[in-house]
Amino acid sequence: MSNIEFDVDKVAALARMDLTDKEREEFSKQLPSIMAYVSKLSEVDTSNVDPKAYIIEQENVFRADEVTDCDPDVRKSIITAFPNQKGGALEVPGIFL
Amino acid sequence: MAYKTAIEIRDAVASGEATAVEVVTETLARIKDRDEKIGAFLETFDEEALEAAKRIDEMKAAGESLPRLAGVPVAVKDNMLVKGHIASACSGILAEHVAAYDATVVTRLREAGAVIIGRTNMDDAAMGSSTETSYWQKTKNPWDVTRVPGGSSGGPAAAVASGMVPLSLGSDTGGSVRQPASLCGVVGMKPTYGKVSRYGLIAMASSLDQIGPFATTVEDATLLLEVIEGADPMDATSVDADVMTHEGLVGASFEGLRVGVPKEYFIDGMDPAVEKAVREAIDLMKENGAEIVDISIPLTEYALPAYYIIQPAEASSNVARYDGIRYGKRAEGLPLLDSYRKARGEGFGTEVKRRIMLGTYILSAGYYDAFYKKSLAVRSALMDEMKSTFKDVDVIVGPTSPSVAWPLGEKFDDPIAMYLADIFTCPANITGNPGISVPCGMSDGLPIGLQFIGGHFKDAKILQAAAAYQSLTDWHTKEPGTK
Repeated sequence: MSNIEFDVDKVAALARMDLTDKEREEFSKQLPSIMAYVSKLSEVDTSNVDPKAYIIEQENVFRADEVTDCDPDVRKSIITAFPNQKGGALEVPGIFL
Repeated sequence: MAYKTAIEIRDAVASGEATAVEVVTETLARIKDRDEKIGAFLETFDEEALEAAKRIDEMKAAGESLPRLAGVPVAVKDNMLVKGHIASACSGILAEHVAAYDATVVTRLREAGAVIIGRTNMDDAAMGSSTETSYWQKTKNPWDVTRVPGGSSGGPAAAVASGMVPLSLGSDTGGSVRQPASLCGVVGMKPTYGKVSRYGLIAMASSLDQIGPFATTVEDATLLLEVIEGADPMDATSVDADVMTHEGLVGASFEGLRVGVPKEYFIDGMDPAVEKAVREAIDLMKENGAEIVDISIPLTEYALPAYYIIQPAEASSNVARYDGIRYGKRAEGLPLLDSYRKARGEGFGTEVKRRIMLGTYILSAGYYDAFYKKSLAVRSALMDEMKSTFKDVDVIVGPTSPSVAWPLGEKFDDPIAMYLADIFTCPANITGNPGISVPCGMSDGLPIGLQFIGGHFKDAKILQAAAAYQSLTDWHTKEPGTK
């Protein structure tokens, strides 16, 4: 992991995010050096370690599959907070313009 | 004179010595007066706060028994939802986001009679260690307004440190409560992962995030934790365990306590004044009956690099929802992909974008095993080391931050230097352990923080150790003169 290849434009495209010219320039230098720093982890022998995704031992947390009502007031606020709405429904742009 | 504590305010309201309306009126006036210099608050909820106070006074007049935090003003970090108010996480993309419901912690505060006084400043989407990346404003350290308050919960820390409020809530993903508590000279705690519900907390890195209290005393921090802790059906990671009360801290002492001192928490390059203050605190514990044990937790040095894989990976996934379609400003008139790119490109600050880039890279095809999976393996190995450590000792002790508060702007353009500010706090997030910072000294007029870390759900142990330390010292009673 010592030679980090970091294609800033490719990663920005994957992240669906424009960068400014200044960010592009800064990130091209900074991101490989940050990745080089975190690559220090390769020093640790983890061949006998089972990587856990959870830090607190918890069995599956289940609940009854029941429909519960949403407070109409909360529902209204959520819809109002949406960037565009039409007749109580959420309006989104078309996929193809 | 020390600031009034939450317990003193609550008792004054309960005894009729003060009304809740008086308390809230004074608090709002104090914020107006002091915050101009500090910049901790984004907004105060004057009308609602006075309404809530009035209801407490009516309960009192009707002879009803008052709940645990009746009449006590509490400030919250801007990433916790308070219904009807903006909750922006200090990010441009959420600048106009109005909370549709209360976070569980806010609901529990209201039920306990607390008065939600306002929302406070933080780093953009909680990514930062100095509160300088906030979309809105910079917060200054109350001890020296040319310096940072720490971060990401710099607003809630500074609000308590400057005596504007007795209590506030922050969130701690890599040290974001404990580190600003250390730099601002107040008590700040990150409970065990799972102890406090995150429902209504704007998610940053979900396997690390935990909400925690700021206060001027360990008793007050414990009282606030009592109110907010416990399982919540709306957060599947929250559990009921080890309920602690502030009354249980009476007479807390070091007698018979086994205190581990890990050598990895004293490193080259840390501020010698910090090391000296922490060593003196350890000597004091020893003189007062603690059994000091020199220990080693070798994988500690890998916690920070593991953190800077796990945190950006999880954060980049969490903030993927901010696309201008569901939240934020929609970029109109563009094909869908371009509208995402524009909304996200304009809505996030540079530090958030830096971490989205890191996280996206780490999770991209071909790198997942080398980085993310590897970091989870190192995390698991460190958890095993921590587990065996706590078979031998009750708590471990060390510094909270390797330095005191630094000048505004100093580390702003050097991400790795900024990330190193969390070197002693992020291990507890990586492993889920509880940690608390308490003031333990001063260096050139700036506070130094002492950190206790405990075993999983042994929050009571670190609160007792912190209370015992506080009972032997008066660092927590010092107030900033605000240079």
